[in-house]
Amino acid sequence: MKGAELVLQVLQQHGVDTIFGYPGGAIMPIYDALYQSDIKHYLCRHEQGGAFSAIGYARASGKVGVCMATSGPGATNLITSLADAMLDSVAVVAITGQVSQAVMGTDAFQEIDVLGLSLAVTKHSFMVRSVDELAATLHEAFAIAQSGRPGPVLVDIPKDVQLADIDYQAEFNAAQPAAPIYTSLANAAKARSLIAAAQKPMAYIGGGVHMAGAMHQLQQFLAANPMPSVTTLKAMGSVAKDNEYYLGMLGMHGTQAANLAVQQCDLLICLGARFDDRVTGNLQKFAPQAKVIHVDIDPAEINKVRFANVALLGDMKQILPAMTVGTNCADWLAQCAQLKQQYGWRYDHPGERIYAPLMLKQLSERMPDNSVVCCDVGQHQMWVAQHMRFSSPRNHLSSGGLGTMGFGLPAAIGAKLARPQDTVITVSGDGSFMMNVQELATIKRFRLPVKIVIVDNQRLGMVKQWQQLFFNERYSETDLSDNPDFVALAAAFAIPGHCITRKDEVESALEAMFTWPGPYLLHVCIDDKDNVWPLVPPGAANEEMITEAKA
Amino acid sequence: MNHVLNITATNTPAVVERLLQVTRYRGYELAGLQLTPRSDAKSLNITLTVSGDKPIHLLTSQLHKLYDIQQLELAGSELAVLSA
Ligand SMILES: Cc1ncc(C[n+]2csc(CCOP(=O)(O)OP(=O)(O)O)c2C)c(N)n1
Ligand SMILES: [Mg+2]
Repeated sequence: MKGAELVLQVLQQHGVDTIFGYPGGAIMPIYDALYQSDIKHYLCRHEQGGAFSAIGYARASGKVGVCMATSGPGATNLITSLADAMLDSVAVVAITGQVSQAVMGTDAFQEIDVLGLSLAVTKHSFMVRSVDELAATLHEAFAIAQSGRPGPVLVDIPKDVQLADIDYQAEFNAAQPAAPIYTSLANAAKARSLIAAAQKPMAYIGGGVHMAGAMHQLQQFLAANPMPSVTTLKAMGSVAKDNEYYLGMLGMHGTQAANLAVQQCDLLICLGARFDDRVTGNLQKFAPQAKVIHVDIDPAEINKVRFANVALLGDMKQILPAMTVGTNCADWLAQCAQLKQQYGWRYDHPGERIYAPLMLKQLSERMPDNSVVCCDVGQHQMWVAQHMRFSSPRNHLSSGGLGTMGFGLPAAIGAKLARPQDTVITVSGDGSFMMNVQELATIKRFRLPVKIVIVDNQRLGMVKQWQQLFFNERYSETDLSDNPDFVALAAAFAIPGHCITRKDEVESALEAMFTWPGPYLLHVCIDDKDNVWPLVPPGAANEEMITEAKA
Repeated sequence: MNHVLNITATNTPAVVERLLQVTRYRGYELAGLQLTPRSDAKSLNITLTVSGDKPIHLLTSQLHKLYDIQQLELAGSELAVLSA
């Protein structure tokens, strides 16, 4: 067989039945092999979109997402999405065609040094020099993408390697079993004594917990060691909805209860999180009285930005039970419950206009159980995190580390294909939506019943908010009041839609959207003046939040 | 502060670029680099000298994650001697 066919066989050995991509000269042999393959290929309309769909697929399902592109511009179009997968630790395998080795290094047509470009945005990358290495390299790519802290892996395959003949028998068990995770419980006793001694313990939960498959162990840990908890953007949905000491998201746009409590705690138990600057605010002033227990799979995260008094490395599933000792902090729990009560969200917004937090709360209450919500980036993204409830982090796909506008729509395509039985909703902004709007064509082609909610403030709202607060209201290039007619735009892709402007239209509009069997676009117009609160200003400590009343 | 790292790496085409990219990105300066292929040519012995004010573990823990790095040890750290 040809190298190109081998590529597809290896993908199938890894259980891949869905891939996202876009053809071109240097990857034509693989596309030719696809023509008669059982693997279903979804044609994106921009490689960035295809790779975001692979990310959405991976994040919604826990499987590896696979995307493909041709050499040169196809491959460079993948870079942003690979960077997104890198910063959010998403297992993706990207396959790129490369010009033939005979002309490599001559600035051939559509030749670019993709391996060189990949260094900063992948966990690892390969250039395949011979068809004899092809199968082993692809197996390695899958193993690396999923092992330890997951991440994107790129495999660049020259056209001559795709065309070369090879005698290949697919071995049944070529997909190596996942390497065991090295776990050290040596520090577990120290962690237990810190927990037992703490008067104000706090669990700070990141995406690493659910990625380790430790959701169950987490609930047990929180039940056996009662303590308040907060989550990062990536971990929303990690704590059971009925946990009364769960305080919500912490950080720049976190809840007041979460930020105030974290600032007061005397022991911070960081589980699969990395003290990102959007979480900590001013690092020197973050949780100043707290000792830190840091649990992670990646040793490089320990002591990277915050000193850990005790570190435990490895498999979260084993580590959480080993840290159980019980807590004795009734006063603290009561204090945190009181904070939660005192600073609960308010939805009694005056006027007729739609208040996005309330609309999203209504959406959250109306959406079927286990719906997946894919976000874009900006104010609407923070409102989703604040006002919607998720039963699992796999149901809330938001671009965290890279904060990439244009993520939502293509990620929703991937999520829908990964979980066809579940409802998939994109909540996008009027700015972000336009960044990968071409993927409406993908939705049209495959009749994917994705629900699209555009929160339209006619602004690059998040940037506008900063201009208002920190740049003397100089609104440089953030006005989008000449937006296209989004409902008409959807109609051009045979997607029905509806536009609403008043609060009293929300319920029936959501009803119509969910009742419609196919894709649907709901254009929600809001006031351009609405802002996201609370907000920790740059350089401030997390207790110095600005709230709407103060602003 | 100068730090000398003794590294054994798989001899893949991009391995030195990867080392240097991580070194630069994590905020250390290159102060010396030597490499010799081992007798089987499949591995490289690399001596990487870097300077920087940050604790060296911030670099070594990132370099350890490079897939092509087999072994890495900190041979020594010393204040760079100013040449007269
Ligand atoms: C690709 C990309 N470019 C620029 C930015 C910077 N940025 C962050 S939020 C934002 C505004 C987003 O506008 P919109 O999608 O309408 O969301 P809103 O804040 O109005 O809800 C911008 C420009 C980004 N995050 N990503
Ligand atoms: Mg907007």
